[in-house]
Amino acid sequence: MSQNGGAPCALQADRVWFSYRNDDWVLRNVSLSIPAGQHTVIMGPSGTGKTTLLRVLAGILKPNDGRVSVLGEPTHELKARRLSSLIGYIPQQLGLVRNLSALDNVLMGALGRIGDGKAVFGVFPREEIDKAQAALEMMGIAQKGSQQVFQMSGGERQRVAIARTLLQHPRIVIADEFASDLDLALASEILTRIRRAAERENITFIMSMHRIGLARQFGDDVLALKNGEIGRGFIGNEILETTLEAAL
Amino acid sequence: MRSTIALPLTTAVFLLAVLAHLGFFDMERLARGFRNLGILGSEMVPPDLGILPTASAALWETVEMSFAGTLLGFLASLPLSILGTRRLFSTWISGFARFIAAGIRTIPVLLWAIVFVILVGLGPLAGTFGIAAYTVGYLAKIYADLFEGTDPEIMEAVQSTGASKLQLVRFVILPEAANAVLAQVLFMLEYNIRASSVLGFVGAGGLGFVIQIYLQSLDYRRLATVLLLVLVIVLAMDGISAWLRKRFLLSAQPS
Repeated sequence: MSQNGGAPCALQADRVWFSYRNDDWVLRNVSLSIPAGQHTVIMGPSGTGKTTLLRVLAGILKPNDGRVSVLGEPTHELKARRLSSLIGYIPQQLGLVRNLSALDNVLMGALGRIGDGKAVFGVFPREEIDKAQAALEMMGIAQKGSQQVFQMSGGERQRVAIARTLLQHPRIVIADEFASDLDLALASEILTRIRRAAERENITFIMSMHRIGLARQFGDDVLALKNGEIGRGFIGNEILETTLEAAL
Repeated sequence: MRSTIALPLTTAVFLLAVLAHLGFFDMERLARGFRNLGILGSEMVPPDLGILPTASAALWETVEMSFAGTLLGFLASLPLSILGTRRLFSTWISGFARFIAAGIRTIPVLLWAIVFVILVGLGPLAGTFGIAAYTVGYLAKIYADLFEGTDPEIMEAVQSTGASKLQLVRFVILPEAANAVLAQVLFMLEYNIRASSVLGFVGAGGLGFVIQIYLQSLDYRRLATVLLLVLVIVLAMDGISAWLRKRFLLSAQPS
């Protein structure tokens, strides 16, 4: 589906079918291939299966039929810790623990690398704490580390969620409706930061969103999902609103 | 329409039948009860404050039993409730943990006190264990239900970082449930203070023993002093709980 020729494939879905109930298919024969380092935006009307597609790609849901592979390895054959080292997932409501501080939430990105013993007592290696601070700094909220998440604004929470995922050091980040409830200027600023961080760490980004303007700014490629089927892709600089609207 | 009337009507008829069976309509008996209440009231005043040193020592024992029993029960209920969380463990493990909690909960605190009097002898130690046992049964059930209700999106997000079950408990389940965990343990402490004031009836220490003596010897003025002390400690406990809630529980999220 991607038109980014030579780059190796980061994530691939091959004839994926998924339903929550018997024959009520949410995804129908979805195939796509996302090149490494590319920023892909998935767009589509509400209830069309974007969240389900992202959860299947992230290895959270298992397809009824078909196959998803990450860097050539079938997602559902991977152990949880191996999968976490490859894919970071940010749900629509961000999945932050409200009663904990921003820094604690970011440090959770390191849980896959450290043992139960120290982490259970809330003790993280100094190196991980420094990295978490750096991730917060990269997101522009270095001074907010000790603040509890429930006291933070929507935009700050989005940054904490990204910082947590960056600390996970994944090769691919999948984010559902990211920045969708922020005003345009703030969403744009956060997406610029993400793009900068992703390019620096060579991370492949897959994000669902519903604003064409933001998709154009962020995406190298835009996929349109309608009624559980992938429509067609568009190359970032050449996105035409009318074409995309027609596909949706 | 008929069914909306049928249920309250049936309930009302059943209630009347049950009350009649319990002697509620025996007017002579009720009138005698009111007369006795007047006599009892007059025999209780003025309270005999001479027994304050004895009663205070017994009261302190009751507070100690409640505090230690509640905390021991709370600590024991945590692993049991985590094992009973179906999101974390298989149906077999969680079902077995919930079965144990239900079994413990079935036995009232007074019966637990009797069991521990038999096991460790008369005195406050038996009462402490009795309170702890009842607390485990109650809190394990409440906490398991509470932990199961953790926002699945948060669980999923942290699980996708490669977190183990133990790490999920430490970083997601307990912090997310912290408010309710604290509120329930405070409620349990208040409940146990009231409950433990009768454990002395079965020889398990505390105020109950003193209450029983004054009841049996019809010494109502001394009994009144003890009841006033119970009232004071329950009110004090209410105040401390309110303060703790205000101090530690989080307010609603800002929009």
